[in-house]
Amino acid sequence: MSSDLQEAPTGTVDDVAVAPPLAQRAKSMAYAAIPYVIAVLAAFVVVGVLIAVLGHDPAKAFRAVLTNSFRNETGMVQTVHKWAPLTLLSLAFAIPLGAGRFNIGGEGQMILGSVGAAAVGITMSDLPMVVLLPLVIVVGTLAGAVWAGISAWLMESFHVNEILSTVLLNFVSFEVLDYVASVVWSDPGAGGAVTLPIGDGAVLPGIGRPPMHTGVLLVLLVSVVAAVMAKRSVAGFELRAVGLNERASQLHGIRTGRVAVTSMIVAGGLAGLAGAIEVSGVHQRTLEGIQSNFLLLGIIIGLIARGSLTAVPFVAFGIAVLEVGAGSMQRVSGAPVEIVLILEGLILLFLLMSDVATERLQRARAGRSARRASATATPGAPA
Amino acid sequence: MSEFLTLTITAMVPFLFVAQGTMLSGRAGIFNVAQEGLMLLGAAVGYVVSLKAGGNVVGLVAAALAGALVGFILSWATTSLRLDQFVVGLALFFLAGGTASLLYRVVIGNDEPPRIAPLPDLVFGQDALVFVAVALSLFLWWWLYRTDAGMRLRSVGENPKAADSLGINVTRTRLWAGTVGAALMAVGGAYLPMVFSGVYADGIVAGRGWLAIALAFFGGWRPQFILAGSAFFAAMEVLAQRAQVSGIGVPHQFVSMLPYVATLVVMVFAFRWALVPQFLGKNYDRESRIVG
Repeated sequence: MSSDLQEAPTGTVDDVAVAPPLAQRAKSMAYAAIPYVIAVLAAFVVVGVLIAVLGHDPAKAFRAVLTNSFRNETGMVQTVHKWAPLTLLSLAFAIPLGAGRFNIGGEGQMILGSVGAAAVGITMSDLPMVVLLPLVIVVGTLAGAVWAGISAWLMESFHVNEILSTVLLNFVSFEVLDYVASVVWSDPGAGGAVTLPIGDGAVLPGIGRPPMHTGVLLVLLVSVVAAVMAKRSVAGFELRAVGLNERASQLHGIRTGRVAVTSMIVAGGLAGLAGAIEVSGVHQRTLEGIQSNFLLLGIIIGLIARGSLTAVPFVAFGIAVLEVGAGSMQRVSGAPVEIVLILEGLILLFLLMSDVATERLQRARAGRSARRASATATPGAPA
Repeated sequence: MSEFLTLTITAMVPFLFVAQGTMLSGRAGIFNVAQEGLMLLGAAVGYVVSLKAGGNVVGLVAAALAGALVGFILSWATTSLRLDQFVVGLALFFLAGGTASLLYRVVIGNDEPPRIAPLPDLVFGQDALVFVAVALSLFLWWWLYRTDAGMRLRSVGENPKAADSLGINVTRTRLWAGTVGAALMAVGGAYLPMVFSGVYADGIVAGRGWLAIALAFFGGWRPQFILAGSAFFAAMEVLAQRAQVSGIGVPHQFVSMLPYVATLVVMVFAFRWALVPQFLGKNYDRESRIVG
């Protein structure tokens, strides 16, 4: 067993040297896709059985959940409107995760972003759009960054665990939102914790029919920049280095504390941007419950993407399709919406399991080929 | 005053169960992050079984068993398969939460849910679980710090390689600690419908699971401080509710922030006692040659 482990890397290195780079890359990409395919299929099978046991028609349920986004423009717009905050909150989780920090505060940062955006949009509602709209977006982003900055500061200066501080600040943010929405700029006609509408100049313009807000394009741009930065920039390299081995990075002159703090603040900014986009593009105000369940879905997306910022937008799209389809599934087939939650959890769990399976498969194959190689080199020698 | 005490104790109990469960798993190196889902599962199973089988005790046992099953899956996947603890924990959180709502939806449907009988008072107007929770905390302190077995468990969370070399079975220790810890979390969840609301609802846990993780860090992963920390947090919560009702001129939202802000402030001054088990959340690979 232990000799297999030692010999395995040699075999892999030989493969890399012999195979042409492009074919090799396609092959490794295909290998990377296999666990995803297995995990998604297995999760659908298990959930299908569950739906059948509950006395509903699995085929009908799956058709509803998967096609709802693509049947008409309304479904598509709903999906991309969900995709935008999901992508941002997932990045807000995945970026600090790269540095080995857990940001569970995406929802608080998003709420503060929405409060900041609404504050500007309401108090300066007379400003023209060219000034107001960028201001709303920027203030929202900054508000989220400051909120995450508190956790980052506590983490760096006082060694307060970031899970603890981000979780506690989420609860504080609910109260901030409640105060703003039911005391400061409360809309008396709305009934509930809802603010007044923001000025016309603060609303993100829509395209198409039904209108898709342009925040989606902004998110697309942000996610491309994030993915490129993670792969190609010094900051991205340092982030990965700290996540892989904090001590080694420090010894090589990376200021690890600063990398971790920066990653948290950037994450807060992204979550804050999500809040600003929800205010400016979807609700035209901020209100209680604006954070929805984006935090948890963002975390699960980040984990299914295995922290790869390139994969995040794609996984987020898949989850957005499931989330938008959940309601229609319940209407069409009677299978309860909770099924989708179970489906998402199972995809993640099976993805991990199939990782183990592929790893063992590869190790077994590498061991076999290594044994064969040593057997041909010295015939008759015990393998 | 006595009413304040009663309210505080009742608010403290679920935190205590869940935070001590988190601590027990954590001291063996298993960082469970499925609290929120486990509490939901405990609440749903506890409610449904109490209702259908008649009796809170049966409901509590069923909730504990459901939690134990999830905890066992977590411990097995992170010891035998060495999968990432955080990821498995969150996947199980989703699964447990989904299963809880589904169970409720299938058994009760959309009807008006019947209330279950609250836990009966034992003495001093407190139900039995209050005493169990406090006794459990004291027992865990005694067991972890005053017995051989407890020291072995702590050594697995601090330095599994050293523990392994002394003949302590790391995998088995983690398996049972993770399982028992998750069972305690589910019991903490089952307490909610049995004492607070009488019925199950999807929002019943309301972030208490995440707060319990925060309390485990707050208590420095030590049972006696977790007991004190939970009492402090619960007292702050009740105080905030009180101030809200009587009105003190400050908007009630700011008063409601008090427990969270106070916990953060205490944490800033607490870095000396706020130790974390060395191997918390890290899997142990016996064959690995990397030291540490």
